[in-house]
Amino acid sequence: MSFTDADLIARVLSREDQNAFGELVRRHQSPVRAFLARMTRGDAHLADDLAQETFLKAWQKLQTFRGDAKFSTWLFGIAINEFRSMARQKKELALEDVEEPPLEEPAAACDSHLRMDLTEALKLLNSNERAAVVLCCQNGLSHEEAAQVLDCPLGTVKTNVLRGKEKLRRRLTLAYENYESA
Amino acid sequence: MNRPERNDPLDALLREQNQYVEDNGFTQRVISALPRRHSQFPLSQIFLLVVTAIGSALAISQLPLESLPALNLSTLLSLNSYVLLPWVLVFSVVTSLVWATVTVAVQWEE
Repeated sequence: MSFTDADLIARVLSREDQNAFGELVRRHQSPVRAFLARMTRGDAHLADDLAQETFLKAWQKLQTFRGDAKFSTWLFGIAINEFRSMARQKKELALEDVEEPPLEEPAAACDSHLRMDLTEALKLLNSNERAAVVLCCQNGLSHEEAAQVLDCPLGTVKTNVLRGKEKLRRRLTLAYENYESA
Repeated sequence: MNRPERNDPLDALLREQNQYVEDNGFTQRVISALPRRHSQFPLSQIFLLVVTAIGSALAISQLPLESLPALNLSTLLSLNSYVLLPWVLVFSVVTSLVWATVTVAVQWEE
């Protein structure tokens, strides 16, 4: 018999059931950790520390979860707040635009490396664009859900998704052209 | 509600890259780091116990303990309200005090 997220949350709230919370962590750890790994530009250790903080905050604030959004959406909201507060403390991860590398930069471009190129290309987006693209295009959140997670207007999310995808396309096209001409 | 375009190769590539991250002990680390959630015990439960104790003390002080009628099977079966009513009162006071104590003790144990 499998419990829904709502069942598990109710058990945590009524009995402080750590096993129920463990099941929630098991279910949602992958998207949260993957999202934070993207946000930290592939720093898996930092991402896992932030993910752990995210779940500890979720444990402490679970009674404030009203259930009007999906539990995963609520978790992404905590995760982005953890990332932002860490970024404020660490200037090198501040939320400013990252300059794109020069176009003539040699790209390791071949079809089998397309994935790696995408990973690298995602790192070139600023954190707002990256968050919007990863939430909407990788995790399947609607623009409205992403706006709720990122606590910003719907229009801003749409703009960041479009701008982010445009940058990715340019970067991947360039990599592909370099491969073709090589 | 906008979802990624199904036929956009970039969306397809992004979705394909969204692979499952193995747990590798992450859940266990989170569970072992969980702090105790803020308990409702200290204020509400102590308040319940104190109020019940005060109420019980007041009720007991008003009871005609010296003039309680003797209780035996025949008076019980007679259902005489003059005999039974004071005992019902005593029983209610004692029960509420025991109930409050047990409730607080159970909460404390949990």
